[in-house]
Amino acid sequence: MTDIFPLVFANEEIRLLTAIVLGFGFGFALERGGFGNARKLAGQFYLHDMTVFKVMFTAILVAMVGLYTLVGVGWVDMARMWVNPTFMWAQIVGGFLLGIGFIMSGLCPGTSVVSAASGRWDGLVTIVGIFVGTGVFAVAVDLFPALESLYSAGSMGASVLPAVLGLPTLPFVLVVVLVAGMAFIGAEAVEDTFRARRGEVEHTPRPVPLMKFGLAGALGLVLVAGLGLAPAPRADAPSHRALEAAPVAPMTVAERIIAGDPDLMIIDVRADAGERVPGAYPVALDSTALPVLAGAGETTDVVIVDADGSLEAIPTSWPDRPRYRVLEGGWAGWDGQVLTAATPTSARADELERVRYQNGVSAFFSGAETQAGQVAAPPPMIPSGGGGAKPKRGGC
Amino acid sequence: MEAKKYWNPYLAGVLLGLVLLATFLVTGGGLGASALPKRLVALGAMTTAPEWTASNPTLGHYVEAGNPLRNWLVVEVIGVLLGGFIGALSAGRFKATVEKGPRISTKGRLGYAVAGGVIMGFAAGLARGCTSGQALSGGALLATGSWAFMLMVFAGGYATAWFVRRQWI
Repeated sequence: MTDIFPLVFANEEIRLLTAIVLGFGFGFALERGGFGNARKLAGQFYLHDMTVFKVMFTAILVAMVGLYTLVGVGWVDMARMWVNPTFMWAQIVGGFLLGIGFIMSGLCPGTSVVSAASGRWDGLVTIVGIFVGTGVFAVAVDLFPALESLYSAGSMGASVLPAVLGLPTLPFVLVVVLVAGMAFIGAEAVEDTFRARRGEVEHTPRPVPLMKFGLAGALGLVLVAGLGLAPAPRADAPSHRALEAAPVAPMTVAERIIAGDPDLMIIDVRADAGERVPGAYPVALDSTALPVLAGAGETTDVVIVDADGSLEAIPTSWPDRPRYRVLEGGWAGWDGQVLTAATPTSARADELERVRYQNGVSAFFSGAETQAGQVAAPPPMIPSGGGGAKPKRGGC
Repeated sequence: MEAKKYWNPYLAGVLLGLVLLATFLVTGGGLGASALPKRLVALGAMTTAPEWTASNPTLGHYVEAGNPLRNWLVVEVIGVLLGGFIGALSAGRFKATVEKGPRISTKGRLGYAVAGGVIMGFAAGLARGCTSGQALSGGALLATGSWAFMLMVFAGGYATAWFVRRQWI
């Protein structure tokens, strides 16, 4: 059993075909669940129609149980999954605001599309409002530094609840299923209490109890199977993995910094360094390094600076995704090859040209350094960017 | 034609969950909705003010790779539009109308809908996603911030419901 998922097709046409097919399923299920009707959705907030809660949480349970069971049996490589990065304060404030907008419009961004697609004018004008609000935020975050700091506030990287709470994943998933199951029973009792408010809006049929228990039983079985099949954690699991990629030459890194290469991230693992490569993030070798490394995508080269380039392994707790390469010669290599002016070894024209070029690069960095030790070169790839790792994501 | 009844919510939820699971397994990420407005705004901004767009904290990474609309989530939202349309049509529910409670005018209802949309566009920008990308997809992944977001959406809705009740009940 190997990590076969996620598939992530390389062919763009196939990828976009899956987008149409899966989007169609999403829209169809939402419509049939009643999510194209703003009045029905609003019922969630007046307690007489809990369809939003029931549909949404059933979907979360099914996808969660399915995914984490496949992770448990080793078919899904969680390191290659894009997990929404946590920016706690941005998401708390943004969530509250979105809730206010939700009850005013009666729709959320996804359901407004379904509502408009079923002919509802309120869905269409909600979409117009969302466009305006999206533009307003993009301008406001540029104008007001306070909003920009809120946007990045509470950054925890790709954080998941079981890890935060220190609990094993599959039992945690089982607890979520049990709690949600009890919440469904509670939701139906609440609906009955407030049924006088229903008016003429069509009420979604109640399933027979057998079906609910059938669903719960099926989810439970999948989970238990997942727990039983999960490979036992190896006691001798290595804490470090070897760096497989070849070291990268200091001059190459220097050129990529000057070019502003977005696929370059530099981390410095030396504990007490006076000087660093411009744009390097200080990261301790024994840290989990998530906030910084979570910003590195599949195509990012993470260049590790140590004292002398002798680093051979990195902690297994670091994400698998980016390519890690050590800087040839470490800081000593950088100091000797980039910060020190070269002298020609012969009078040949190409050798003189090489030395002239190299000294130009040296001047760029040593010049930058003399400015009171400030880091002057453009920092490579800011990891706190909206949506983080893969450029294709970051929306909703 | 008499409109068909809505599906049993748990059945609709199972289908939605299977679509989401398939999306995880095929793409390595979840579903979304607010990516389309974000990327269309990025496209508009890119054509009028390219430098400002590239340096904008929220739009910059959408335009790095060229056309911001060449994106999985954008095409997926087009699929949602199709799925919603076919779903409504085949259930006899497609109808040009406005959904509202009995105590509010159509104009008033549409005003609330636009205002709510503006707030949600702003909020989805701040939270890096909406109910689809954060609450549903991030929720199923057990992402910490997505669960905080989801609880706050319900909190914001319940906190405001009393003030806009005339619209619905």
